Formats: sequence, structure tokens, C-alpha cells
Amino acid sequence: MVSNPLALIAEVTHRCPLHCVYCSNPLELASAESELSTAEWTSVFQQCGKLGVLHAHFTGGEPLARPDLTELIAAARAAGLYTNLITSGVGLHEQRLQALVEAGLDHIQISFQDSREEAANWIAGAKAHAHKIELSRAIRRHKIAFTVNLVVHRQNLDHLEEMIPFIEQLNPERVEIAHAQYYGWALANRAALLPTQSQLERAVAIVADAEKRLAGRIRIDSVVPDYYAKFPKACMGGWGRRLMLVNPSGKVLPCHAAEVLPGMTFENVRDKSLEWIWQESTSFRKFRGEDWMPEPCRSCERRTEDFGGCRCQAFLLAGDAVATDPACSLAPSHSIVESAVHEANTRADGAHPAPASSFVQLQKLNAELWSYRTNPE
Amino acid sequence: MAPPTDASLPRLAPGCRWGGTEENRMILFPEGAIQLQGTGRQVLERCDGQRTFSEIIAELQKQFGAADPAKIRADISVFLEQLQKKRIVDY
Repeated sequence: MVSNPLALIAEVTHRCPLHCVYCSNPLELASAESELSTAEWTSVFQQCGKLGVLHAHFTGGEPLARPDLTELIAAARAAGLYTNLITSGVGLHEQRLQALVEAGLDHIQISFQDSREEAANWIAGAKAHAHKIELSRAIRRHKIAFTVNLVVHRQNLDHLEEMIPFIEQLNPERVEIAHAQYYGWALANRAALLPTQSQLERAVAIVADAEKRLAGRIRIDSVVPDYYAKFPKACMGGWGRRLMLVNPSGKVLPCHAAEVLPGMTFENVRDKSLEWIWQESTSFRKFRGEDWMPEPCRSCERRTEDFGGCRCQAFLLAGDAVATDPACSLAPSHSIVESAVHEANTRADGAHPAPASSFVQLQKLNAELWSYRTNPE
Repeated sequence: MAPPTDASLPRLAPGCRWGGTEENRMILFPEGAIQLQGTGRQVLERCDGQRTFSEIIAELQKQFGAADPAKIRADISVFLEQLQKKRIVDY
């Protein structure tokens, strides 16, 4: 008997007013026309409540792009779920925030791209930074938990020391300092995002220092970059073990990136119950447990901790979803990660392009450095 | 941050609330949940922002009459301080 999922990741839309270059959404985004309706999402939340799911993490794209977001939060809350909104904050103002809090929103997480406005807007491909600061002040006027999320990478890590006091003055309960993970748009832009060894070492020291200084005031959760780790991350806490993700058009996935895996079919909440998909579907059973594991995972004592790492990364880097995650130092294909790291540490960065007057111009000016995330057709 | 004082008013931090079922009570917080049984549950159920730390201690010392009152006090103080660091409890 498989234990129940603990959390639902509700990717309610892939539409987004930002164009962050580190976005982990798939390159092939779900269209607006294919999105689940309010009633379909409500059914998803009710099924989750019955399945014993505890948390609903609303994400996207930008969840605020859904005009019915308040109704969706209320529906998730009515189903007994803890509601977490992961957002850029663009599209949120005092009145809508008030409505979300009244609907039962438990927690809000706002992403920042940098502490410096110009750099932040450059990474996001949108002028969003000033609004996020203003919104953070509004959030503190409500009785709701607030986390600041900061995705760090080659282009902003040198400002990390400034980012800590920047975050402090926003006064959240938590801050998440997450190194970019290389899926979707971030993988396409990896060369521009992968940090150097010295950037990383400095970042680890800065975070450790901040953790000590802010203990009891702001909790810091940090996500280390797996390219520099000795062992792979326990991706999603193991395939089909703790989490399930419902994408904008209702496909149920074990993780954000699984759609890239070839030869797999993912079930849709429009056709099947979540319980059946979790318990019985071929896709959720595919890499559950240890039967699928190759060596060196199969006999590795860490297999119950990291579950062989990430299946999507194994496919994206080594071309084989069944392989040991190339991020693992024991993986036969580890040289792929080593050469990406070597490249990151030997290549010099060019100068930052001049500010642009429009998104199209911004794309053009930065075309050699990276591709901005675009919107679904 | 210092440990709670007699006048502290321990309470769940913003974004933390009770969930689960009666047999399986837990505290939900933004990125996870903790299951609470036994003494931990009895302590946190009293952290309602109304009772002071010394009142909570007195209630539990009475309940666990056989145990050393100083030890009960010290254990609960450490417990709350740890949860405060995790931003699950405020006082």
C-alpha cells in the first residue's frame, strides 16, 4: 500500500507577466484555453482533502493571472488544505490581498530577483521590483505568514551580502535562498546562470553568518546547487512518494519537469480520480521504490535518502531517465556535470547589456546571454 | 533570542495552525507539518496567546505531579525556544 501524498503543487496557469531567465517551467507551456476551470480545480482540492494531502502550494506561471484565484484559495481551504501562494506579486494590490486573506490564505511567498532594482528587472525581464517592495509592506499589515524567496545564480550572487539586509527590512518570517535548478528555461540558460566555485563558497559563508545572526527572527532555508554537491538531491522527496503536481491543463505529474521524459503518458484529472492516479497509474509507479534502479544506486546505502536523484535530470543530461542522476559523484555520467562546472569556472563573463526600453529590445540585447521565458501561445 | 520568561505569552507564529485529525493532530506551517503527541501536544495546545509561560508551566507541573517541577520547567523552556527558532512559536 502506497502512503498518501502530503502536498499538492497546483500550477494553476502558465501565464506570467514576468520573464525570469531561471524559470523552471517547461519550455512547452500549457495554453490559456486548456486551463482547468474553477469547478475542476475545486474537485482537485476536494479529492486532495480526502486523500490526506496537507498543503496546497499555488504556483504557476503567475497564479494571480487567474481572476478566480480567491475562489480557488477558498475552495482549497474548505477542503481542509493549508494554502500557500507562491507569487511574483504582480497583479496583487491591497484590496485583492485582503480578499485572499479573508478567503483563508495561510501564507504568501514573494520572489525577488535581486536587491538592486536594475539587476532585478533585468533578470525578470519586467519592471516588477518596486511593486514587490511596496506589496511586502502591505503584506505586513495583514495577519498572514510571509516568506521572501530569492533565486540566486551567477548573475546576482555577487550581491548576496547586500540582499540579506534588503530582505531583513522587508521583515518576513522566512527567507528561502535557492540556487537555480537547471530545468526548463534555467537549463536552456545554464551557461549564464551556473555560479563559479568561489561565488558558491562565499555564498555559503554569507548564508551561514546570516542564519546565526537572524536566528529566532527570520528563518533561512537554503537550497544548495546540486551541480556542486557530492550526492544528488532527493528530488521531490522521491518519485511519487510525497508530492503531486497538477499542471494548468489538468495533467498530474510527479514533479515540475516530468513532461520532458520520453515515452511516458501522464493522466489527467479530467479523466481519472487523483486517488487512482496516485495509487495505480503507470506514470506514478514507474520510478517509485527501488526496482527500477541501476547500479551504483541499487546497492548504494544512500538510495533510501536520495532515491537515485532526479529522473528528469538523468534524462536531460545523460539522455536516460533510468540512469543515476549525473549530479551524483558516483554516477557513470558524472563527467557531464563536471564539464559544465569546469566551463563555469574558466569562462569570463561579458559586460551587462545596456537597459532596454521595451521587452522586445531587452530580448534582442541579451540574445547571446540568455532567452527570457515567454508566455504560452 | 532569549528563552521565554514568566510573563511571555507563547502562541503559534503567523502561518502556523493546527490541522490533521483528533487522533493525529499536527501543526501545519508553510513548508511542512509536525505531528504532536503526548507532552508536546499538551504544551502547544496551551500556547494560545492568553496563558502566560508561568501559567502553562504551573498547569503542567500539576498534571505531572510526580515529576521534578524544575525539570518540567527547563524541558518546556527548551522545547519552546527550539520552536521559536523554527518560526513556529512566538512568545
